[in-house]
Amino acid sequence: MQSKLTLVIFILFVFGKSASAETEHVHNQHNHDTTATPSVAVATERYEGFVKDLKDSKVAVVNVIGMVCDFCARGIEKTFNKDEFVRKVDVDLANGQVLIAYSADKLINQEEISELILANGQNVTGIEIIKI
Amino acid sequence: MAFSNTMYDSVYYHYSPSYRFSVGIEALSDKYTDQQYAYWRSTFLLNRKNTQHSQRNIYLQAGIGTQGLDHHFVGVHGDWETRRWFSGFGVKQVKTNTTDYTEKFLQVGVAPYLGQYGDLHTWLMLKSKKDSRLEGWSTYPVLKFFKGNLLLEVGYDREIQWDSHIMYRF
Repeated sequence: MQSKLTLVIFILFVFGKSASAETEHVHNQHNHDTTATPSVAVATERYEGFVKDLKDSKVAVVNVIGMVCDFCARGIEKTFNKDEFVRKVDVDLANGQVLIAYSADKLINQEEISELILANGQNVTGIEIIKI
Repeated sequence: MAFSNTMYDSVYYHYSPSYRFSVGIEALSDKYTDQQYAYWRSTFLLNRKNTQHSQRNIYLQAGIGTQGLDHHFVGVHGDWETRRWFSGFGVKQVKTNTTDYTEKFLQVGVAPYLGQYGDLHTWLMLKSKKDSRLEGWSTYPVLKFFKGNLLLEVGYDREIQWDSHIMYRF
């Protein structure tokens, strides 16, 4: 039993799909200027529910890798909720996205968002800002 | 964090100034030697790989007993997980005033359903554990639940009885 478990774990560690991103800055990050219409990748069911009751806001849709566990993503929500301009935060585990709603007068710094996500141990691969 | 199994009960409080590093203190009631002591503990994230659907971690850990420098431990543990699958391992070498021993474990798990953020998450796991003070490996089922900032892990084996772990994130 132990040798089989060892073999399974060894295979997962060695051949697991984990080749691309160390916990460092991701350089092929795709950032977008503020738009009024979300891209197809962003317009998920969870996003639609998130923005349903929002107005006069900016929503940062942050694509994150390594966000596989609810318990590990808790720090992301806590971190962004400390910002007085943040109205609400949601984590979409299925699509690997963090949704952050800011008040409309917030000057969003995409680099700062990336650093805050990195400080929680995940990597940002793209950010889209949508005006609501 | 609190642990309870056939060899010890412990309560561990730790602080993480960054995701790479944590320090804390663990108060421990050793059932094997019938002693109570504490460790100053530290955990360091040696390596992490994030991908779209997985995360892999390797950690180093060390602790120094409040009884003196000759009472200490060092260890390495790691995990690889997706939202559906989990695997982990750990090795810990402990030196105490009375005995030296090694703890090893392997663990695999599957999530029977994929919960959304905020839901109750459940894992069905199989854990295999070896303490060099005891004979042979023990392999037993483990149930793991978490919701919000609370995590509960409970395993049961006829020989080593309950193996439980509870964690709350402040």
